[in-house]
Amino acid sequence: MIESIPTVLVVDDSPTVRKIVQMTLQRERIRVITASDGLSALTSVADEMPSLILLDIQLPRMDGYTICQIVRKNLQFRAIPIIMLSGKDGLFDKMRGRLAGSTEYLTKPFDSAELVQTVKKHLAGWEQRMPPQYEGMRTRLRRRG
Amino acid sequence: MESQDLIMDGDLQTLGLQSILKMLALSGKTGTLFIHSGRETLSISLRKGQIIALREEVVNQPDLLTMLCLMNRLDAQQAQSVRDAAQGNMQVALPILVDQNWMSRAEMQQRLEFAITQSISHALRWVNGRFSFHRRVIAMEGKMQPLDVDSVLLESLRQADEWEEMGEISLTRATMARWLPEVSNDVRSLGLSQDHIDVLCLANGEVPLQAMALALMIPEARVARILARLLELRLVEVVDTALEAELQQDLTNIIIMSQHTLARQRQNLAPDEHLLGLIKTLSQCINGLLIHHGSYAKSLRGRGQVPISDIVSYLERRFAGSLQFMAKQQFPILETASFTGGQLDCSELFNLDRLVRGEQLEEFYWEAVRGLAVFLRTVFTTLLNDEVGNSYTGRQLNIVWKAFLTEIDQEIQQYQIYRAHQHAQHARSRFNDSAYQNDTDWKSAAQNEGTHLWSSEWQRRSI
Repeated sequence: MIESIPTVLVVDDSPTVRKIVQMTLQRERIRVITASDGLSALTSVADEMPSLILLDIQLPRMDGYTICQIVRKNLQFRAIPIIMLSGKDGLFDKMRGRLAGSTEYLTKPFDSAELVQTVKKHLAGWEQRMPPQYEGMRTRLRRRG
Repeated sequence: MESQDLIMDGDLQTLGLQSILKMLALSGKTGTLFIHSGRETLSISLRKGQIIALREEVVNQPDLLTMLCLMNRLDAQQAQSVRDAAQGNMQVALPILVDQNWMSRAEMQQRLEFAITQSISHALRWVNGRFSFHRRVIAMEGKMQPLDVDSVLLESLRQADEWEEMGEISLTRATMARWLPEVSNDVRSLGLSQDHIDVLCLANGEVPLQAMALALMIPEARVARILARLLELRLVEVVDTALEAELQQDLTNIIIMSQHTLARQRQNLAPDEHLLGLIKTLSQCINGLLIHHGSYAKSLRGRGQVPISDIVSYLERRFAGSLQFMAKQQFPILETASFTGGQLDCSELFNLDRLVRGEQLEEFYWEAVRGLAVFLRTVFTTLLNDEVGNSYTGRQLNIVWKAFLTEIDQEIQQYQIYRAHQHAQHARSRFNDSAYQNDTDWKSAAQNEGTHLWSSEWQRRSI
């Protein structure tokens, strides 16, 4: 049986958060790639075409809002769901996230079960969102179940 | 169950399960007895004082059909046909097996009796909990001969004693074991008994100890002993998937919370505030881990709802000693922290600014940070070894933990650099003073002798 698995890009400057999200999502049979700053996050988006991005707001070199805006302006990547992950729980920050184009906003400290639930919700139909030019990559990501 | 059906209820501490069952049997009662302890529930149906059925609410109901397949008693197709007909109900599946001539009637009766004895034996070990007896008998399809309460109790008590005799054991009825991938030698050369081989055959990482006992009709305590031996021989490793997933989730939530607190306290610009923030983060994390361990420690598992006092004394027995040792040997400031109600009470440390100020305060805070960081490591290592050991989950959690420790270490290092810088500045100013103001330096050197204890000590320790 051939089964394809989704890829989630986790962008956070904290190694703890990156490892926790990686461990939690891998348990749910989700492939996880990570980036610790804004610029490496954009490189990963272009190289890997993730099915979903979990994005922290405060990042070195480029903040989460800017990354979100760049992704949304790109025709190839604009359909990728972006979940903002931040310690800021004020209405203003949430609004700013929405304006930048985020799909949802998770406030730190998040519950790992809530994280899984939110990620799964936005991963529904991820295969359809992948542009045709990434077909080769999709095949690469497939693995034997 | 409707409340008008209720005949009696109470708690297990007042009236134990053994006494309740005896009483109901003697008075020839008909109805259903419910027993709850923590998350576990058992219902026993009685007719004229005899047991006619039992139902245990288990998260993962053991599938006897799968186990009969593993034991080569059924093939996959036969098992599936019975499963479809019985729709997951074992009380229905067993008569179907008898009708199909895949099992004798005697074996069916024996299996049903055994399952009831196992469940009652397990419930007899519950310390806390509640019971209620209702008039109505819950309809359960079954073809079991009614069982005499006295004989069931006798066997159940004997099996419960077997568990108790084993003392502190890490295995529970939910424990799953799987073959170690490294096993390559011929197991026949180890001289294992047939029971050992049977248990080994079922150790595929998916069958819990309770289900093994049911399939092989060997009491749970004996299966536990066999598994312990197989573990000793390094033939199997323990996997408790559901529990491991639960405790992994709980631990990651504690780490997420602590990391968040750590990130927030980074905003403190003043060094003493920064240190106090670190103390608060570390103590919060330690207390989170202690609460977690109170729920998942191996020696507290499988005992139903454990009284709080037992949890508290367990935690203190386990960790208070190492805290006292650290206070005596390395970090005297930790003498101000104590264990209260199974939690580390650092309130004296938090209020230290009412007693001392300036450099001295910073000095105490710094020692407390280093002491608590060491204690945090001790708590986590002890906890992880006890709860999951060197399993896959344990290894995964260790990776996350190391990442978190790196963040704490970075905070500590940041302060060390600040201290080194301060120290260098002090030294430079002293040197300048000695060149130009010899008279005042003698005085200040004498005055400072007492307050600058930390510099050489700190350097030694940081090396």
